[in-house]
Amino acid sequence: MSVLIDIILAILAVYLALQSLLAPRLTQSVFLFFAFGLALALAWIRLGAVDVAITEAAIAAGFLGVLFLDALRDFSPRGSEKKENLEAVQNALPKNNTKSLLLPGMALMLGLGLFLLIALEAVWKIPDGGGLTAAAEALLPESGVEHPVTAVLLNFRAYDTWLEIGVILLGLLAVFAVGGIKIYRKPVMATQDPLLRQVILFFTPVLFLFGAFLLYIGKTGPGGAFQAAVLWGAIGILLHLGGRPVFSMIPRWLGQLLLTIGLGFFLILGFLFIAGGATLFEYPPAHAGVLILIVETMAAISIAAALTAIFANLNQMNEGPNEIESTN
Amino acid sequence: METYQIYTLTSAVLFVIGIGGIFASKHFIKKIIATMIMGGGVFLTFVSLAERDALAFADPVPHALVITGIVVAVASAAFALALARRIYQLTGEESFTDDK
Repeated sequence: MSVLIDIILAILAVYLALQSLLAPRLTQSVFLFFAFGLALALAWIRLGAVDVAITEAAIAAGFLGVLFLDALRDFSPRGSEKKENLEAVQNALPKNNTKSLLLPGMALMLGLGLFLLIALEAVWKIPDGGGLTAAAEALLPESGVEHPVTAVLLNFRAYDTWLEIGVILLGLLAVFAVGGIKIYRKPVMATQDPLLRQVILFFTPVLFLFGAFLLYIGKTGPGGAFQAAVLWGAIGILLHLGGRPVFSMIPRWLGQLLLTIGLGFFLILGFLFIAGGATLFEYPPAHAGVLILIVETMAAISIAAALTAIFANLNQMNEGPNEIESTN
Repeated sequence: METYQIYTLTSAVLFVIGIGGIFASKHFIKKIIATMIMGGGVFLTFVSLAERDALAFADPVPHALVITGIVVAVASAAFALALARRIYQLTGEESFTDDK
């Protein structure tokens, strides 16, 4: 019975992935990708990885879906107009390119088929090394938390997590570099829509509390900094959509502090450990639990701020030229 | 057939679908979606092997790696999206075309 569920879920994930790439319209693609992310989240629950499932559903399906939908708004309306022009041009041209497209298509299919066989054989024959479960289990009492995934993320492999916060910040800087920093100049204009106002009033405290709960529960069960950060980031996105862009309302230095506090605090803590004679990110076992909770809170604040800023910047990206066009 | 075996096979299929999508699809957004599907395949391999190595709980190291990986993948997808929108803004192109 359980095997049947797994097979159905696997087929569903493959079907949704194929459909999201084959769908003729971009909107369909994006929504099928949403569904694919959620199907994958279910698969992860089946595999006992609840932390991964929450992260997938929240960041990969939720946050990325929002970014895609936001991008669609700019790509679709003018795009369709353009496509008609393009089709007209293509119809005017003599159609001699069907034959030349056939050969690469065949080669691609053949190559993919071969690659699929190789990949299937490779994953089937991955050697059984026993994994690191036993090592993690043995060291769990010293980590200061009871949940093994949190112990690995913030204690055993804290270095990875620290670098990851840096990667998110780097992603934000890259988005800034591409789009230009317009984020702080947007005039603050609250929404007139009463429904959206009520939604913001209702969801802001709920999301905040739920995020804090996930952050705290990470000590004993599935949850933690990343999951909490997405919920807090959702508050920022909601406020932004409601006409209250957080980063133009707070002073600039405060925004920068929020963005860097996770990375900075983690690093300062690491240096303090080194100064105390330990290695980088080697928590003293007696205080590990408290320190991990503080680090997680700082990291969650930073990641939430970075996600909000990424969304805000992408959201305003295509408003710039539109405004210029309208004033011209 | 064990649960993890089903999902390792699925992960290989997803990876290949993603690669095919990168080559075959034209639009920037579809290419980004294809890379995310490819990444999903890789993560699925990790997590299903974590389930294989489970004792009292599933192997937490691949789980932590995958959580980190998802967040990094999303950050890079956001950057790719920013690049795609910038290209569209400046040139009006929504895919890589060489026939002009």
